[in-house]
Amino acid sequence: MTGPVGEPPDDRQSIRELLDAASLPCGAEVDALFEQVADGHATDLDEHQRDCVHCQAALTELALLWAPVSDTAAAAVPAPAGMTAAVMSQIRVLVRDVWYTLQTTDMGVIRIAARIVAALARDTARSVPGVRVALGRSTHSQLAALAEKATFAHRHPQAAVGVLGRTAVVDLAVAVQYGEPVHEVARTIQQQVITSLRDSIGLQTVNVNVTVDDVITDEDQA
Amino acid sequence: MRPEPAVSDGYLVARARDGYLDAYEMLVQRHSAMAYRVALRLCGDHHDAQDIAQESFIVAWQRLDRFREDSSFSTWLYQIVTRRALNKITRGRVTDLVDLLDESAADPGAEPAVQTEQNLKADAVSDALAALPFPQRAVVVLHHFEGLSYAEVAEVTRSSVPAVRSHLYRARRTLGKRLEEWR
Repeated sequence: MTGPVGEPPDDRQSIRELLDAASLPCGAEVDALFEQVADGHATDLDEHQRDCVHCQAALTELALLWAPVSDTAAAAVPAPAGMTAAVMSQIRVLVRDVWYTLQTTDMGVIRIAARIVAALARDTARSVPGVRVALGRSTHSQLAALAEKATFAHRHPQAAVGVLGRTAVVDLAVAVQYGEPVHEVARTIQQQVITSLRDSIGLQTVNVNVTVDDVITDEDQA
Repeated sequence: MRPEPAVSDGYLVARARDGYLDAYEMLVQRHSAMAYRVALRLCGDHHDAQDIAQESFIVAWQRLDRFREDSSFSTWLYQIVTRRALNKITRGRVTDLVDLLDESAADPGAEPAVQTEQNLKADAVSDALAALPFPQRAVVVLHHFEGLSYAEVAEVTRSSVPAVRSHLYRARRTLGKRLEEWR
């Protein structure tokens, strides 16, 4: 890095000199000016800069130089399609939830994965007025050790959707809209999920545990 | 189904720890664009970036118990993505540089000639970024592209604010010299 540049930069050579210089003839540090420009404050001049031809010229040149970086940074880069699904399918393989409902019919056996039961229960819960978020759990107790080994310390090893034959226990965590009667919402969830699982999966006995653990205001959703 | 309302990352992390995969799925949806974007800007290759982003989410899920609740999930994810990008690069794999701008994200209102120039500029920025040493590239991407503060960049890179600032000073000068022709 050289000393101060002699004249305000006005061509390509002088921008190179500017980028090699530690400071301008007025004493302003080039790094500080570049930081000001790159952080989007090129036109926010301080008292010295308002009267300094060196600083003003340098800020203008550096702003032009940095513009392609700002433009590129501002461009949207969406996630590739299907990325969330790809991640979740790999995680489900790690958890390896192998519990199924089991129904024997004249024509054979019907199995429905516990996570499907959880997803149906969750979607039903989400359709209940007042429910803003509903999450369904699908890790069975007997698989908790496996899940723990593959993932992390499980807080509720007794939890989840336990499915055995045509009996199911479903855990739902829900967040409700502020102002809604929480107890009533929870009761409605239980009733509708039980009906839904009986009708769509043919489960005979369904227990639905509802935990309301968050309340969302309109401001949260803004 | 109604659109998902805003619940905090902290809430979702806590539920994911309780075994609700749905909660983690919402976190992945929420942060997948960021993870991919940062990985792409750090390694310059679409396929590597996709791998890095996906692996980062799986690693984050496996280490969810180590996540400190007083810190932000996104900062933690930035940390994992940045580290995995560095690992990928230093493993010596050849990375083809691609546009930082996705075709589908191009401004549809822009004239073709303008778009071409924008793409060329983005190419130039991409090339200039790729030529930076990794620590400088990381701080530029995190601060100037992702908008993290110096303190947040320092947390992600496990460095200090003066070190971040020093890397940025050098990186800007190097980028500036490479981008002269676009003035």
